[in-house]
Amino acid sequence: MSIALYRLDDRLIHGQVVVGWGKPLNVGFIVLVDDAVRASAWEQELYRMGVPPEIEVVFASTEEALQRLAEWERDPRVGILVAGDIDTLAALTANSHRVSRVNVGGLHHRPGRSERLRYVYLSDAEAAQLKTLAARGVEVTAQDVPTAAPVPLKDFT
Amino acid sequence: MSPPLTRARPGLVRSLLRLFTVQGSWNYERMQGLGIGVAEEPLLRNLRAEVGDDGVAYRAAVARGAHFFNAHPYLCGLAVGAAARAEHDGVPPEQVERLRTALCGPLGSLGDRLVWAGWLPLTSGLALIAVALGLGLRAIVAFVVVYNVGHVALRWWALRAGWRYGAQVAQALREPLLQRATALSAPAMALVVGAALPLVAQYLSSAFFGWARVALAGVVAGGFGLLWWQRARLTGVRLGLALLAVAALAGWLWP
Repeated sequence: MSIALYRLDDRLIHGQVVVGWGKPLNVGFIVLVDDAVRASAWEQELYRMGVPPEIEVVFASTEEALQRLAEWERDPRVGILVAGDIDTLAALTANSHRVSRVNVGGLHHRPGRSERLRYVYLSDAEAAQLKTLAARGVEVTAQDVPTAAPVPLKDFT
Repeated sequence: MSPPLTRARPGLVRSLLRLFTVQGSWNYERMQGLGIGVAEEPLLRNLRAEVGDDGVAYRAAVARGAHFFNAHPYLCGLAVGAAARAEHDGVPPEQVERLRTALCGPLGSLGDRLVWAGWLPLTSGLALIAVALGLGLRAIVAFVVVYNVGHVALRWWALRAGWRYGAQVAQALREPLLQRATALSAPAMALVVGAALPLVAQYLSSAFFGWARVALAGVVAGGFGLLWWQRARLTGVRLGLALLAVAALAGWLWP
C-alpha cells in the first residue's frame, strides 16, 4: 500500500497524526524524518510514547530516508511520513519522483513567520520554497485533519 | 545546581495555581504557550540568583517558556516542570525547545486516554448510577468532589514529576502505576458506562406508562439513528438541546 501521506508538521507525531489520520487510513507504520530526533534517544522514546504499540515508528535521518523511500513505498502496510520542516521534505522530493503530494499539516508561529491559515505560519522564504515544490509538479495542500477540506497552495501563500 | 524538591515547593504551588488558568490565553498562534510560560515563571525566578547575570538567563528562559505549546490541560504541568528543571540544569536552549515540542504528542494522547476517555466518563457513569439508585443531589456533589480530587492530584503529580526528572522526563511517563492506570481506564470506563445505561434508561422512563413508553423508545432509537447518520455534524449535546427546545415548544403550545 505504501506511504499514503507525506506530512509537514512541526509537532511531528501527535494526536492529529496518530488518531486523526492514522485511524481512517488504518496506518501500520509512521516514518519520522528528522536529523535531530534520529540522533536523540530520549526524543525517540517520547515520540514513540504517543503511538499505540500496533503501529511501528521508524526514525530516520534525511539521508536514511532518501535511501529507504523505495522500501517504504513497497511496504504492504499503509504508512505516514512526517517531517517538521520544509527543507527535509524538499530534499526527499528533489531526489525522488515518489513524493507526488505533500500535506501541510501544521507549521506554527515562530519569529519571522506570519499567519497564513490557523495552523500554518510561514516566512516569505518558506512560502517561496513551497511554491518551488509545487512548480516541480508536487501537489501541495494544507489540511490538518482528514475531515477538513484541503486548501490549495495558492490560497495560503 | 537545581534546588531540591522541598525547597522548590513554594514555586511549585504557585506554578500549580497558575496552571489552572492555562487555557485562558489559548490562541491559534501559540495555543497553550502563553499560559505555560506564565505557569513556569515562578519556577524560573531563582535563576537570577543562581546565574548572577542580572536576570538575562531568567528573562530568556521565561520567553522560551511562552513559545508554542499544546497538550492536555491537566498534564501540561509535566512539561512546565521538566522545562524549568532543564533550564536550572543548564540544558542548552535549543534542547529545551525540543523537549517541549516532543512532550506535546505523548502528553496530549495520554491525557485523552486517561481523562477524556477514562476518568471523566468513569466518574460521570458512577454518578449516573448513584442518581438512578435514588441518591439524588448527594451523588452530584460526590461526583464533583471525587472527579476533582483525581483531577488536581493528576496536575500535582505531573508538575512534580516534570520538576523531578527534567530532561529525563520520559522516565516519569514509564512509571508502572501510570501505565496500569492508562491500560485500565478504558475497560473500567466501558464497564461503568455499560452498567449505567440500563439503570439510567429505567430511571428516566419511570414516569412514562403505556404508549408513552413506546413513544419514548421510538424517540431514543430515532435519536441514535440520527446521531449515527449525521455523525459529522450532529453531537449528543446538540441533539439533546434541540430535543429540549422541541419539548419546551410542545409544552407551551399544548392546551
